[in-house]
Amino acid sequence: MAMTLTIPKLEMSMMEGTLAEWKVESGQPVQQGEVIYILETDKTARDIEAPASGTLIHKVEAGETYDVGTEIGEIV
Amino acid sequence: MESTVKEAPMRQGNLGIEPAVLKEIYRQMARIRAVDKEVQAGLSGGKFFFSYWPMTGQEAIPATIAQLTTTRDYMVTTYRGVHDQVAKGLSLDGLFAEMLGRIDGVNKGKGGSPHISDPASGSMLTTAIVGAGAPIANGLAVAAQARGEDRVTIVNFGDGATSIGAVHEAMNLAGIWKLPIIFLCQNNQLGEYTPLAEFTASKDFTSRAEALGFRGVRLDGNDPAAFYAGMKEVIESVRAGKGPVFVEALTYRLGPHAGVGDNNNVTAEALTAAKEKWPVPRTRALLLDAGVCTEEELAQLEADAQTEVEAAMAKAMASKVTPAEETLIDVYADVDTIPRRGHYPHREAEKEPTGETRSMMGLEAVLQAQDLAMEQNPEVFLLGEDVGAPGGVFATSRGLIEKYGGSRIRSTPIAEQAIIGAGIGAALVGMRPISEIMFLDFAGVCLDQIANHAAKQRYMSGAATNVPLTIRMMVGGGMGGFGAQHSQSLEAWLLHTPGLKVAFPSTPYDAKGLLLSCIHDEDPCVHLEALMVLRGAKQDVPLEDYRIPLGVAKVRREGSDITLISYGWQVNQCLTAAEELAKDGINAEVIDLRTLVPLDYHRVLDSVKKTRRALVVHAATEFCGFGAEIASTINEELFSTLKGPAIRLGADYAPIAYSKEIETSQVPNSNSIAARVRAAINAYS
Repeated sequence: MAMTLTIPKLEMSMMEGTLAEWKVESGQPVQQGEVIYILETDKTARDIEAPASGTLIHKVEAGETYDVGTEIGEIV
Repeated sequence: MESTVKEAPMRQGNLGIEPAVLKEIYRQMARIRAVDKEVQAGLSGGKFFFSYWPMTGQEAIPATIAQLTTTRDYMVTTYRGVHDQVAKGLSLDGLFAEMLGRIDGVNKGKGGSPHISDPASGSMLTTAIVGAGAPIANGLAVAAQARGEDRVTIVNFGDGATSIGAVHEAMNLAGIWKLPIIFLCQNNQLGEYTPLAEFTASKDFTSRAEALGFRGVRLDGNDPAAFYAGMKEVIESVRAGKGPVFVEALTYRLGPHAGVGDNNNVTAEALTAAKEKWPVPRTRALLLDAGVCTEEELAQLEADAQTEVEAAMAKAMASKVTPAEETLIDVYADVDTIPRRGHYPHREAEKEPTGETRSMMGLEAVLQAQDLAMEQNPEVFLLGEDVGAPGGVFATSRGLIEKYGGSRIRSTPIAEQAIIGAGIGAALVGMRPISEIMFLDFAGVCLDQIANHAAKQRYMSGAATNVPLTIRMMVGGGMGGFGAQHSQSLEAWLLHTPGLKVAFPSTPYDAKGLLLSCIHDEDPCVHLEALMVLRGAKQDVPLEDYRIPLGVAKVRREGSDITLISYGWQVNQCLTAAEELAKDGINAEVIDLRTLVPLDYHRVLDSVKKTRRALVVHAATEFCGFGAEIASTINEELFSTLKGPAIRLGADYAPIAYSKEIETSQVPNSNSIAARVRAAINAYS
């Protein structure tokens, strides 16, 4: 079952986040718990781990800022 | 020669704890860790959104306590308490569904993870108001003590909560009453975003308990063996009735205040050092090193936890989001208590008692009601300032301590949060407490307990719990000389809080009958006792038990030209005004609401249909007062019938003055009421 990845709300005050860098290429396999991208907020940069195992598909470019809830990829 | 001495690995013999117990502690930690990871992964991946306050790093505390307590023991915790809930034995299905706001949540998705109540596991109440659980936990301990049960109550809170007054009030009360309670401070070194050293100059927290006359113990909450040994002694002592203990459990919050990931309020070095003491990997390593478990056994135990968590989350995700049709369910036991536009239920009036009567003032009627209720039911008890030997400041409990003793007539410190909180806690487990607050003006120092806890608990728990608490509050005003802080009619504060019922009698007869109904009600009731009624005119009051149903108004004087709607001591001002108006040929009907919630709109609207005019009168300020609410409903429902708009008369918008002349004029009186009626009739005739 595909799992949609969205920009998470890491802090109560967080409205948007910058997808600084994809750590796994699109189309590559990932294991649950593996760091897949780096998310920057106004407070900090965070490693975001894969919530499931499968193949990672990017849907947006790194280096851009997106609203919380924006669909950025999926794990199929 | 060896230049370094390598620490000997721990063996079964020097673990300091039974190996099987340590393994069970780790099993609980593994479950907590799996829950924490599942939630954080879901939040990070965008699988769901909700507020989460991670407890990562604090797993060993509840995992250890779980080995020393059972579901019979009571627990109160906070929004950062998912680890406490898991270890206490909440079903993970119910926990996850609650976090997600689903109908299958343990509290129907109405409370969410910060407001869990699960009486089946002993998780009685979870609060998102820092420190507010402590006064309520006292009430659970009071119930256990009064019933002669050996249950222990553990109230969890963080180091941040040590700064708030509720915790101090609760600890002081527990000390003087020697309650079977443990104040468990999970000291994770941070109060939200602020490090400990920046919010207190205290060197430790245990000395606070010692200052209040009971024992404080500091334990390493990250070391299961040491924590188990320390808590075992503490729990046994409290269970044996040796009084409360304060435990400072040292730990470290590895996550942020809210959200997911690492703690970003401390330096990277501090976090790295803290992670080395993280009890989850450390205990795992210890079990391996000591030969208690093999790698395969631990892997199996973790896999089992993971399977349980995944199955529970899948079930929760499949559950229906709690629908809007549930909005008004669980506010009260009876949905008809809720005031709703267009829905005006008719409630049967009481049967008039026929037995023996005696002439008495309101204070004696209140005394009688309490005496009767306590005679009938050993679970009814009274707590408040000076309620014991002095018999209450206004003699409403005179003689009761001689009859029922100090365990049922409980004089308290001057600490209103402690008084209300202990009432809530005892009511949560089915007792029938009466919390007396000397003046309604003091609601300001305990409104959090009343409005955020007593009022909301049924709703937040999805009716898993309810609070059959009666709060008696005296209302000054009208006597003169009590000043701005002992004379206010603040009922609007209470009426703005869904979940409370409010009675406001105008006579000794009603005071007794309404108070008895409040005490026997399943929801929290506030019984407002005006000094003008307590110490006003005497009336023949039946000596038997009679109940005036909540939500039944009474016509005090029949009339045809206007309906005067009032409550409390202002009813008598309206009756006097009606006699004055009669001299001018104006025949006023006077309706006494008696209860404000539930409100008897049925009888009010019936009366106004007949008289076609209405004036609402109260001692509270007119601006934003209850009169505006009632007048608005009358105008909307009876617009085409009315000869003129329904209007209101309340106090001037000023604090109540000490000057008798100002007070008499600023609050409605028979003259100003009559004048308002004449003006209205002249304007619309």
